Amino acid sequence: MGRFRGWFANPWGKPRFLILYTALYLVWSIVPILIAIRFSFNEGRSRSTAQGWSLRWYTGDPDLSVLHDSELSSALLQSLRLAAIAVLVTVPLGLALAVGLTRWRGRGAGTSRGISLATLVTPEIVMGTALLLVFIHLLTFVPLGTPAQAIGHITFSLVFVVLIVRGRLLAIGPEYEEAARDLGASRLQALRLALLPMLVPAIVASAIIVFAISMDDFVISAFLSSGTSTDTVPVRIYATGRTAPTPALNALATITLALTIVIAAVGFVLWRGVRAARGQTGSTVGEFAATEGL
Amino acid sequence: MSEPKRGVKADRAGDGFWAGLALPGVVWLCVFFLLPFYVVLCVALGSVDPILLTPRPEWNPLEWNTSAFEFVFDGLFTPGAAFETVFVRTFFYVAIATTLSLLIAYPVAYYVARYGGRWKGLLLMGLIAPFFISYLMRMLAWINLLQDDGWVNKVLIWLGILDAPHNWLDGRASSVILGLVYGYVPFMILPLYAFLDRIDRRLLEAARDLGASPFEAFRMVTLPLSMPAILAGIAIIALPMFGDYYTPDLLSGAPQTSLIGNQINLYIRGGQQEPVGAALVVALMLFLTVLMGYYLYATVRSQRRLGG
Amino acid sequence: MTLHPRESRYGRPEFLRRSAAGLVGLSSLSTLLAACGGSNNAEFTPPELKLASPDNPVTQPLFDDNPAIASGLDPENGTLRIYNWNGYLDPKIKKGFAKEYGVKVEETFFNTTDEAVQKISSGAIDYDVFFPTEDRVGRLILGKRLQPLNLDYVPNLKNVWPSFQDPWYDKGSRYTVPYMTWTTGIGYRADKIQKTPLDYANPYEIYWDEANRGKTYLLDDSRDAPAHMLLKNGITNINTEDPKDIALAKNELKSLIGAVNIKLSTDDYTNVPEGKAWVHQMWSGSAVSAQWYLPEGLGTDALGYWFPADGHGTIGSDMMAIPKNAKNPVLAHHFLNYLLDNKNGYSNFTNYVGYQPPLKSLDPDKLVSDGVVPPSLKTAIVRESDFDRGFAITELTPTGQADWLNAWAEFKAGV
Repeated sequence: MGRFRGWFANPWGKPRFLILYTALYLVWSIVPILIAIRFSFNEGRSRSTAQGWSLRWYTGDPDLSVLHDSELSSALLQSLRLAAIAVLVTVPLGLALAVGLTRWRGRGAGTSRGISLATLVTPEIVMGTALLLVFIHLLTFVPLGTPAQAIGHITFSLVFVVLIVRGRLLAIGPEYEEAARDLGASRLQALRLALLPMLVPAIVASAIIVFAISMDDFVISAFLSSGTSTDTVPVRIYATGRTAPTPALNALATITLALTIVIAAVGFVLWRGVRAARGQTGSTVGEFAATEGL
Repeated sequence: MSEPKRGVKADRAGDGFWAGLALPGVVWLCVFFLLPFYVVLCVALGSVDPILLTPRPEWNPLEWNTSAFEFVFDGLFTPGAAFETVFVRTFFYVAIATTLSLLIAYPVAYYVARYGGRWKGLLLMGLIAPFFISYLMRMLAWINLLQDDGWVNKVLIWLGILDAPHNWLDGRASSVILGLVYGYVPFMILPLYAFLDRIDRRLLEAARDLGASPFEAFRMVTLPLSMPAILAGIAIIALPMFGDYYTPDLLSGAPQTSLIGNQINLYIRGGQQEPVGAALVVALMLFLTVLMGYYLYATVRSQRRLGG
Repeated sequence: MTLHPRESRYGRPEFLRRSAAGLVGLSSLSTLLAACGGSNNAEFTPPELKLASPDNPVTQPLFDDNPAIASGLDPENGTLRIYNWNGYLDPKIKKGFAKEYGVKVEETFFNTTDEAVQKISSGAIDYDVFFPTEDRVGRLILGKRLQPLNLDYVPNLKNVWPSFQDPWYDKGSRYTVPYMTWTTGIGYRADKIQKTPLDYANPYEIYWDEANRGKTYLLDDSRDAPAHMLLKNGITNINTEDPKDIALAKNELKSLIGAVNIKLSTDDYTNVPEGKAWVHQMWSGSAVSAQWYLPEGLGTDALGYWFPADGHGTIGSDMMAIPKNAKNPVLAHHFLNYLLDNKNGYSNFTNYVGYQPPLKSLDPDKLVSDGVVPPSLKTAIVRESDFDRGFAITELTPTGQADWLNAWAEFKAGV
């Protein structure tokens, strides 16, 4: 790796090699997606030969378009449904967990912290298997399908909320709450009035991350699905991607991507507004990446 | 995790309050994360219904039936046996894919952190974008390009490197490993970037002032300082990669590239021997716990060497 | 701001120590769990499971706690929920039924029989109609996962081949009615391969043809794929549990990995027309439906299908059944009857599925002239007499099942 540095004398100057490297990476990373998006607008059935432009696979085709093919549209709805449930439950739950874990000093605190982090290093197939078995053999009142999948999504994304909020908490420090308590507020009031507003960026970032994770989740949704009616978009992509997919599959994936970007953009704008209201400067994107990078 | 070093007095009196706040989350994780692991254990140590061939978990430790575990450990530790072969193969694929990912992620993260400048926001958006694109969609896009009539073949033929379309999806290890790299590398770049961004430039300036060449400054200051981030990045992508089964399925479909995740999938979802599948899951988790332990040890050690 | 060296962000070493302690503590929960743990497995002393086969036909038992529905009831108004393979039921049939009975019809797909049987066996989900295969049906019946049929609702059963009205796996059609029949042969792209199966003394040897390296597929099925390996070696008992035979089949499968980079799939009906596969172990119905997936410019004579001329190959059939916890059993019975109607069965076959129902009104000799089956694929047509000479996949004992599964897993591990 040191060889890269040998390519130029001045370390503060322009590193040509690194620029090229990064550019190549970005191309390699993003261009296949752009190509896939291009073919979602294809007029013909091919997914690799350009055949004109049309919205056929989105709305036009009466049998195979995303709008009309019930398998595809139900997958989209199921993904959105699960993502919404995941965000609504995981963010508050994770917020409380993170705040509690950071301040808790007594017995059991360390263990609880460990448990909260354990899902981060657990492969999804392990979690999917474990959840499938528990719902079939023990907690049988939870049917497979949306309830089971929702629980799986929440359990899997909880750790990300915890990490993001904890990171923010450690950076903020306890002075604001202490000041509030000195002024006579109860713990709960200090939390609500002093700390929570400062955590808004972290909350927004967590919501965006949970949404993206949930929309992207494959293994848990597949294992806990009750059949095609509760398949999510990634599960449908996997199932049909190996047979004779039409560009409708690309269209489905593009719609999912667009929705995720829209949600992220909305959150971003909110965050920027909050920061501007507080007079904070600096790159919003940078701060987001910093919290996301943990 | 460590406490914040801000000279703060711990709020021990409020412990009940804080514990209470954390309680719902902890209970949730106990019920839906820890408890399922116990069920996996009980299925692995249970029996099989002779009529329906469905597993019967054994809740009572005194009646645990170890035959599934014996079968799995036998297969794992006998050289040349199925489980051992697959496990070793998985280990190598993950090791190679992780190393390649590191070689790709580090320079990119370094460039954006140190030389991003005005373009930083835009570059970061490019780095964050893969998070919002479904993993499967990215894989699908690649499969599309790798097909016989896909663009990879078209470009290579046009460039004259190939005479005829090459069957990239015929079950070769390189396609699977590159697929893993493609899928997981974004998850390594962001933590690396976040860390490298925070390294104090003054430390590097000081090193240069003391006469170090750029290479030496990098080797003796930047690299050691970024060790915790490198280890973290490795942990973040290698551990989930061990459970990956859909990447080989999509990019190959041949038995010689199947990973331990495929075997687990076969036994759990495909057959009537779920105890064996459950035992495989337990074995995998034990292995990953060992790896996790090594990672923690390495992190602590690298931090000590930094003089902390 | 530099990160302080002591700031570790990813957990303490103590995590491991404490979680180990926690796991031990958890095991003391066992008594609690045993008390309240819900097990969906049937708790009863079963009559001995009789393994059905063509030489050993079985009359399935009836249980007092699993009665058939009464006669003369009206069909329910709910949504009919079907659990089936993908692409195995014409959407027009579903629409026609929905219109005729004024209900909604919803179909859910499974990817493998194992997956479906697992979900049905667990009782975790409820469907009204299910499509099992003959080698699984005995266990499902004994495990009381299927309800006995009230044939008063299914008069169209008389349209079916006589031998299938009283089949060996369910004499008297107590629990099932037939759905489709097929043979398992070798499909190929006649325009791509150099030697067809008929060019070989032992046609199964075509799987090892190196000219088709990377383009040879077997069915991703733990019973069908080894069956061809057994037949290649002249072993006609494809349901053998002899460890020597199992090992032989396993080694044959493994040799294919090195020889031709063998791949596995159940999407034979698209792999072959799309050119992904030049040689594919194929179900006859897939061969027929493959003609509908040909890309533009490619005619049906590019497709080929081989099955032993003496009929000594793998044959199969599946059936329709009603799970025990179906919410709309009367409606389900009517659906079974609907599919056994001559017109509906024929259009299901010719318009969409490609698999052949065992209906008397269907004349195999007219299928080519009627344009249903292209001439190049006439070997894919199934006749009632085929079932006298062919070999069916039947149920195995638990040991046999485990042995075959382990052999299959070992092959799939790519050792």
